[in-house]
Amino acid sequence: MPQNWKPEIKKDEDYELVQAINAGRADRFEELINRYEQKIYNFSLRMCNDVQDAEDMVQETFLNVFKYLGGFRYETKLKNWIYRIAASACIKRRRKSKFAPEKELSLDEFMPGEGEGAPREIPDWANVPLDRLLDEELSSIVKAGIDSLPDKYRMILMLRDIEGFSTAEAAQILDLTESNVKVRLHRARLYLRDRLKDYFDHDRIESPS
Amino acid sequence: MTESNHHHEKCRELFERLSEYLDRELDEETCSEIEAHIDRCEPCKVCMKTLKRTVDVCRNLKQEQVPPDFSRHLRELIGQLAEGGKRG
Ligand SMILES: [Zn+2]
Repeated sequence: MPQNWKPEIKKDEDYELVQAINAGRADRFEELINRYEQKIYNFSLRMCNDVQDAEDMVQETFLNVFKYLGGFRYETKLKNWIYRIAASACIKRRRKSKFAPEKELSLDEFMPGEGEGAPREIPDWANVPLDRLLDEELSSIVKAGIDSLPDKYRMILMLRDIEGFSTAEAAQILDLTESNVKVRLHRARLYLRDRLKDYFDHDRIESPS
Repeated sequence: MTESNHHHEKCRELFERLSEYLDRELDEETCSEIEAHIDRCEPCKVCMKTLKRTVDVCRNLKQEQVPPDFSRHLRELIGQLAEGGKRG
C-alpha cells in the first residue's frame, strides 16, 4: 500500500549524521552529499537522458533535502526519502516537457512466439560467467536500453534493479501499489531482455564464450 | 516437451510471474510448481535464464562519475546556504 509510512523511527546508517546536521552542524551536510551524490547523479542521468538536466535534477534534489531535512522524522530510511525527493523532481520535470503520451508495454509483445520464436537452448550470453560478459560495450547497450524505456517503466527498473530497493520500498517512494510496481518491473525487464537478445543475436562481433 | 506445448496455459501463467519468482516474492508452493514446470519445458527455462541474466547485468552495471565541476559547484552552493543559516 502506498500510504504505508510507518510511524516508528528507523535508525539507519545516516541517523547520527542527520541528528548532527539538525542540531546545528549544517557544515556536515557535505558528508551527506558525499554519500548520495553519485547514486542520485546516476539515477538522474538515466531518468533525464542528458548530463545538463541530470545536474539540474541533482542540484534540485540536494537543495530540497537541505531545506526539508529539519522536518525529516525517520518515518522511512533517509536514503528512501532522498529518492522520493529525486523522483518527484524528475516527475515534475517530465510534466513540463511536451512529450507524446507514454507508451504502454504489453506482456504479449514479449511472449516468445510460436515455432521459431521459442528458443530451446540457453544462449551463451545467459550462461557464461557474468564478469566475462560485462564490458564497456555491453554496459552502453544496457544503458541505451534503459534510456529507451518509457518513463514510468524506466523509473521502476532504476529503483528496483539498479538501486536495489525492494518492491515495497519502490512502491513507497513512488506512491504506487506494490502490484503496480511488480507489473511495470516485469515488463521493463522483458523489454530490456529483448534488447540484450537482439544485441547478442545480431550486433555482437565476437562471441562471449 | 513438444513444440506446441509451449503455448500451454501453464507457460503463459509462469511467464507472467517470472520476475516475482526471481525476486523470491512467491510462496513456496508456487515456486515448486514453477521449478517443476521449468524442468520439463525448455522454452520457459530459456525465458527464465535470460531474464535472470538481464537482471544480473543491471545489478552489476558500473556507475558513472559525477562531473567534478558540477560536484564542486554543488558543494559551494550548499556551503553558502549552510553558512547563511538559511535552513528551515
Ligand atoms: Zn513452459
